[in-house]
Amino acid sequence: MQLLDTAAPSPAQRRPGAARPATRQKAGLWRRLWAARWSLLYIAPLMALLLTFVVYPIFGSLVYTLYRWNGIGSPEDFVGLDNFRQILQDSIFWRAVGHTFTYAIIVVPIQLAIALVLALVLNNKKLRFSSFYRTLYFLPVVTSPAVVAVVIQLMLSNFGDTLNGWLLDAHLIDTPVDWLGDPDIALGIIILVGIWQTLGYNLVYFLAGLQTIPEEVYEAAKIDGAGRLRTFFHITVPLLRPVGVMIVILAFIGSFQVFDLVQVLTGGGPFFATEVVNTYIYHLAFGGNQAQATEPNVGLASAASFFYGLMLIGFSVLQVLIFRSIFKRRAAGRA
Amino acid sequence: MAVLVSNAQRRRPPARRRAPVRRIVGLSLTHLLLLGGGLVWLFPFLWTLGSSFKSPEGFFDKGLNPLPDGVHGANYSGAWEEASFGSYFVNTVVVAGGSVVLTLLATSMAGYVLARTNFPGRKLCIGLISVTLFLPHGYTIIPIFDIVRGLHLLNTLWAVIIVQSSSGLVFATFLFMGYFSTMDREIEDAAKVDGASFNQTFWRVMLPLSGPMLATVGLFTCISAWNSFFVPLVFTLSTPELRTMPVGMYSFLGENSTDWTFLCAGSVISLVPIVVIFLLLQRYFVNGIAGAVKG
Repeated sequence: MQLLDTAAPSPAQRRPGAARPATRQKAGLWRRLWAARWSLLYIAPLMALLLTFVVYPIFGSLVYTLYRWNGIGSPEDFVGLDNFRQILQDSIFWRAVGHTFTYAIIVVPIQLAIALVLALVLNNKKLRFSSFYRTLYFLPVVTSPAVVAVVIQLMLSNFGDTLNGWLLDAHLIDTPVDWLGDPDIALGIIILVGIWQTLGYNLVYFLAGLQTIPEEVYEAAKIDGAGRLRTFFHITVPLLRPVGVMIVILAFIGSFQVFDLVQVLTGGGPFFATEVVNTYIYHLAFGGNQAQATEPNVGLASAASFFYGLMLIGFSVLQVLIFRSIFKRRAAGRA
Repeated sequence: MAVLVSNAQRRRPPARRRAPVRRIVGLSLTHLLLLGGGLVWLFPFLWTLGSSFKSPEGFFDKGLNPLPDGVHGANYSGAWEEASFGSYFVNTVVVAGGSVVLTLLATSMAGYVLARTNFPGRKLCIGLISVTLFLPHGYTIIPIFDIVRGLHLLNTLWAVIIVQSSSGLVFATFLFMGYFSTMDREIEDAAKVDGASFNQTFWRVMLPLSGPMLATVGLFTCISAWNSFFVPLVFTLSTPELRTMPVGMYSFLGENSTDWTFLCAGSVISLVPIVVIFLLLQRYFVNGIAGAVKG
């Protein structure tokens, strides 16, 4: 059947609208479609799902950014770009952006440093049970952030008092700490849980990267008498770089989208002290949280989300540019 | 380099004599640190497991101690019936199972024809799939909500299944495309010589041969659907009976914050199945993740 002649596309396909008469080309198209009917049928479910539930909604939400709309019925109150203006002037939005960036900028380096050290230790061929340890440290990744957040709340509400007792006895604090109710501490707790919960991904990424480095390179370094630190900085780091760049970018993308943990742990409170962008948008779209009930405004939520999407794309591009310029300078320095 | 070599030679003899003892001590120390760290790392889970058997009083008396003051199985029956975790569990199984079946069908078929056949619009399809990776994913849940309402799927688990699956389709399609494109073309040709039709070639030959990738994608989908919070939260806002376990835990915490041992039992009910599935199939998961970062 058509499988055998798949390698070479027909001339008409390669250059549509070339010298052929229009009618013949039309007949040819139908014939080609018929010949490829099974292929088309096989890809149809995926394309239908993607177009309906991924592509169309992106443009659909873009239309909503121009309306003031509470999500019920159809949008009628056209406000132009007013939603964007409102978002840009909303101090709570910028605080949410600040919290999200704080979260990412603290979580990513700490998490990657721990993951890299752990990966280096586990990559040691002489270390037995290393896959057991890998599984052990990876386990939080396969659990639900929402369930984990509930568990953490239970733990804090239970022995948070015990912990307070110890700290008071040790004279480290004067008054008991309200772990999730104190605006200064709640974000710190979220950051700690965030580091713990997603570290496993980076561990496995780093291990995969380390395994691409051939053993001979290390042996050669050993013969040359290079010490551990020297080997690490002159062999492991440069050879790990391509994978490392991917890991950093993926870690930032993941951190910028934090939602489940914050929504369940604090709901963005107390008084917006832990509001991240995704909880901010959720509250706009579905009408605030328990602390502050507001009228849902889907237009505003869509505008905030679209603007944040652009910010993230900008950040990713910036990241790539920074990495590229660092590598270029290094390469130039070496030459 | 010459300096390095001579340095190393000078240092080598004493180092060699000490090496075995030092290595054994070093490795033992590493094991000790890794085990201790692992105990701390998994402490929240150990504490939850222990606390799920505590009595309500024991829950407070024992505090940090994960060891229960007895075996109060009543927490489990309470969570299962009174706290509706039984129906949340069934909902979660349906959502995870449905997402796995839907994702595997749609992406393996698409990955196969994209990798192994040529058809009008193939490049367009690949372009569209790639572009969706880079488009700014806005707050698309509201338009999705409208579509689901238009399809009369609102207030059904189908809504959660379809919307949840659609988020992972692109990644899974790329994985299948990569897998099928590395397969030997002779296998297909042999099937054709034996007179296999297009359908038979795919369902009887190619799909069974893609077992490892089916496991990888299936496991990824299962874990993300099982743990998913946002999609089921939004689609069950007005239908509490359709909640999945993560959403059920969240609402239970908000509505009924005193039965904490029930919540611990509920956490265990939610965590254990997915951890067991992961442990059984973990090599496929790890391979998939490793492939993603290398590719």
